[in-house]
Amino acid sequence: MSEFIDRSTFDHLVHLAALELSPEQAEYLLRELNNQLKAIRELEAIPLDADLPVTLHGVPYTSSISPTLRSDDWQPFDRPQDILAQAPQAEDGYLIVPDIPHTTLE
Amino acid sequence: MTEYEAVIGLETHIQLNTTTKIFCSCKADSWFDPPNSNICPVCSGLPGVLPVLNRAVVEKAVLLAAAMHAEIQTESCFDRKNYFYPDLPKGYQISQYDKPLARGGYLDLPLSDGSCRRVRIHKLHVEEDAGKTKNERGRRLIDFNRCGVPLVEMVTAPDLRSADEAAQYLIRLRQLLRWLGVSEADMEKAHLRCDANVSIRPKGADYLNPKTEIKNVNSIDAVRDAIAKEIERQIREVEAGRRIEAWTLEWDEDSGKLRKMRSKETEADYRYFREPDLLTLHIDDAWKNGILKNLPELPLERRQRFMEQYGLPEYDADLLTGERSLSEYFESAVKAYGGDPKRVSNWMMNDVMRMLNESSRTAAQLQLTPEHLAEILKLLDSGTINTSTAKGLLEKVDASGKAPATIVAEEGLAKVSDDSAIRRVCEEVLTENPKEVQSYKGGKVTLIGWFVGQVMRKMGGKADPSLARQILEELLR
Amino acid sequence: MELCDLPAYELMRLLRQRKISATEILASCLARIETIDGRPGSLEPGEINEEDQQTVHAFITLTDDRARAQAMAVDKKLAAGEDPGRLAGVPFTVKDIFCVQGTRTTAASRILANFVAPYTATPVARMEAEGALMVGKVNLDEFTYGSSNESSAFQPCPRNPWNPQRVPGGSSGGSVASVAAGEAVLSLGTDTAGSIRQPAAFCGVVGLKPTYGRVSRYGLIAFGSSLDCPGPIARNVTDAAMMLQVIAGPDAHDSTAANVPVEDYLAQLEAGVKGLRIGLSPDYFKITYPDERGEYVQQAVPQEFEAAVRHAADLLAKMGAEIIEDVPMPNTRYGIPAYFVISRVEAASNLHRYDGVKYGYRTMEPVRDLNEMYRKTRAEGFGPQPKLRILMGMYVSAAQYSEQYYQRALRVRTLIRRDFDQAFDPNGKYRLHALLTPTTPTTAFPLGAVYGDSVLMQYADQLTVPANHAGVPGISVPGGIATDGLPIGIQFLAADYQEALLLRIARAYEQATEAESWRQLKPMVLQR
Repeated sequence: MSEFIDRSTFDHLVHLAALELSPEQAEYLLRELNNQLKAIRELEAIPLDADLPVTLHGVPYTSSISPTLRSDDWQPFDRPQDILAQAPQAEDGYLIVPDIPHTTLE
Repeated sequence: MTEYEAVIGLETHIQLNTTTKIFCSCKADSWFDPPNSNICPVCSGLPGVLPVLNRAVVEKAVLLAAAMHAEIQTESCFDRKNYFYPDLPKGYQISQYDKPLARGGYLDLPLSDGSCRRVRIHKLHVEEDAGKTKNERGRRLIDFNRCGVPLVEMVTAPDLRSADEAAQYLIRLRQLLRWLGVSEADMEKAHLRCDANVSIRPKGADYLNPKTEIKNVNSIDAVRDAIAKEIERQIREVEAGRRIEAWTLEWDEDSGKLRKMRSKETEADYRYFREPDLLTLHIDDAWKNGILKNLPELPLERRQRFMEQYGLPEYDADLLTGERSLSEYFESAVKAYGGDPKRVSNWMMNDVMRMLNESSRTAAQLQLTPEHLAEILKLLDSGTINTSTAKGLLEKVDASGKAPATIVAEEGLAKVSDDSAIRRVCEEVLTENPKEVQSYKGGKVTLIGWFVGQVMRKMGGKADPSLARQILEELLR
Repeated sequence: MELCDLPAYELMRLLRQRKISATEILASCLARIETIDGRPGSLEPGEINEEDQQTVHAFITLTDDRARAQAMAVDKKLAAGEDPGRLAGVPFTVKDIFCVQGTRTTAASRILANFVAPYTATPVARMEAEGALMVGKVNLDEFTYGSSNESSAFQPCPRNPWNPQRVPGGSSGGSVASVAAGEAVLSLGTDTAGSIRQPAAFCGVVGLKPTYGRVSRYGLIAFGSSLDCPGPIARNVTDAAMMLQVIAGPDAHDSTAANVPVEDYLAQLEAGVKGLRIGLSPDYFKITYPDERGEYVQQAVPQEFEAAVRHAADLLAKMGAEIIEDVPMPNTRYGIPAYFVISRVEAASNLHRYDGVKYGYRTMEPVRDLNEMYRKTRAEGFGPQPKLRILMGMYVSAAQYSEQYYQRALRVRTLIRRDFDQAFDPNGKYRLHALLTPTTPTTAFPLGAVYGDSVLMQYADQLTVPANHAGVPGISVPGGIATDGLPIGIQFLAADYQEALLLRIARAYEQATEAESWRQLKPMVLQR
């Protein structure tokens, strides 16, 4: 119950989340995270039967109300260029990003 | 000196040959398309889009699962596998994690010594493919055309014992995929992809040593070469008293070398969780049975049956069941022919398969139907045509689509068995070649074959060679 | 009374009688916007001045040209004697969390500030196809993450038309403010924990969260994908029913849009409540929240809130409904902790795609490699609320914690669902047709009073979030004006796909209170 997010766990999370934070923002977020975690802890005190199932959507999806799967028919999207036009950087039909750090060693 | 054996497991990704992608209505195959032209809001991960599962993906995966003897699950689920990579537009891949479409299963590999290696798989699941990236002058170029192409992932148990067996597994898997019609299984086009986990141990041991993972091997030869190299390297290391470390290796096809990839900076935690945008996939018995109605007799079963039912040697049976339409061609031809199946087999292996190889077609694409082949064999058996005419006829029927008998009649290809016509030509040949006649009479009787050849040449191959020989011998007496 | 203040059903009646034109209706709304909205939200707002503090600021993007073209098309159809559609000539706003082709779709975030959607969300497309006029994209909490609209990257953020020093609620704050102030007649909002119902209560309008999957989510920028529900915001129950009629139903683009026929919501709207069983639960007359020391405190909702609910119950009883007291909903208090986990896991994953590669913002800073581009883009593009959700989501879904938090929260969700199953079970002890509760534990709070305290802000949703966990529909309708001069909302909750029943009960209540004096009160911004 004493578990809280320490600075190194927090820094690791920030790294995994592909974020970087100013010291003030880091301080605010870490504090709020731990406050939320306190609220979340309430869950731990709830007695749950071992066989209590999870609920993924509140509404049960029986087979009669579940939408049917898509049939395998080609319907091309007619404006792929509008998608590409949103890219911060694109050339010759490709999206462009900076290089990925090298992963191979001889 | 210790004798080692390799312990190999393969992780395969198979691109299903559906018309459209797994979660949107873009076409699945964009091999010849310009970059980012076969995309839509869904597969390019725009804000607000949702996946809708393609029914055909499930059906093809179920067919493959059944052929792999896997247990198809009544309920399976989709999960998000979260990671950042520029070819993954949503920042997560929709895959199946703890509730895959099928569990268990195996593929049997007949080995050259006549034994059989059973290669097990733990599970079979479906997922979406990512896009492609390439490096160019310190930048990364991204193409989403391949995003959302349906994949099946199957991971084998560490059941393979040599580089050759690993290659055999892929050959048999490719055969099966094409047989079922669920994938084009072309490794060069990445329809079939493979990562290999390799370790070694003293022969007969039952424990597993640390393994290395080889990535980026995209042909069967490359898989064989890369694994063989890695086994050699591991033996060298162990013999030198060094430990094998759990490296990730990359196969450089051009140099034929393995390179070590940098160990990942952070532990991989994909934070899998259920994809809330998709419902549980229910495959009830009615649907499953409907799909499995189309499950054909499998290659190894048919191979066995060909040996038993038609008395074919293993070699013939193996070749003729290499591809499904070829095996069906054979059976149709045997049925139409009604004679010795081995005779059909010989003609197929010697002639029909050569035609297929030369034109890169499958048996189903030939204009020369199994019934045509049977007819040609019957014409040959009845003495209407001779062997060389029969061989020529195969090409002519295939080119024109006309029935063999029609071509024989039109082109006058029937053997000339009219005594007088042949006798006339025989006399001509003898008159024109006094020197050879002299030699023959002087005892060089082997020249008879040469005389027969001359007669055949003059008659455009239509003469009955045994009759010609008989007349020639008579005239030369 | 201006045209823009009339109900949608009245506007459509006048329109079909050719007494007014769609163009005139639109002009009335645009004039109202011009008068009271002030400047739209922007990324570079400069100082918030005195005037800013008196205006509504509902909009991020005004799409008046689009609306004019639509109005002209409606008028042309009417002139030609053609059917102009089931929402013809009705101006509406769209929460800027829905993609609309050719419009900027920002999610009130810097990271999407320049994103022009190449496709249109299903519910918007359905409204436009029925002749509704899209007036603009309205402000919200960044990515819907909040209950006040203060977290929007586009400032000035919306203010409560009843008192511009108060928040409009959230996250559909711009939606409710625009409807309450007569800038539009309808608005399309979304509700993940109460984001339609809570601001509807704060601004004195009707807000309906349909059953999960009743309205397609295609084109709705996802927050908590298993919880998000698009729904109507209107000034009266009939208008809400008309709008739901158009947007509800299966959609080939949404695998979770249930294959359930859409009822005729208008047909039974006036059928009354005779014989219906309507429940009250003590668990909805209190809230439980952690104080500064993390100790749980139980507090009754303010007396005037309980009084408003009991007054509604009395009226419904007079009309023939049976009021069932003391319906236990014991897991209500776990709604927020479970939500803290489930919504964060889904949100963190849903925010993965904002990486500066495909659309939206990319850092201007020089970067060494791709990873640095990701980090700087996301650091600069996301405000604190998305960052908080990403970090929490990553923490509770990490392999080593998932069982303890995420899986447990999903099982607690089952308990919350069971409360509703038992209450609505037609063969059970309570056999309710609906549960009647306060929508919120407070009236609209002052700007700045709660913002920054992410825990307290979340607890504003305690009475609305259980319906999101359970997937059941809920409606908030105006239930009076509190002594602070601000609206009180009351909420009806019903079983899956019982929107027709909900609307019918809400309509009966609305009718019964039509003559009450508070109904005559107008938002402050309309009194000038």
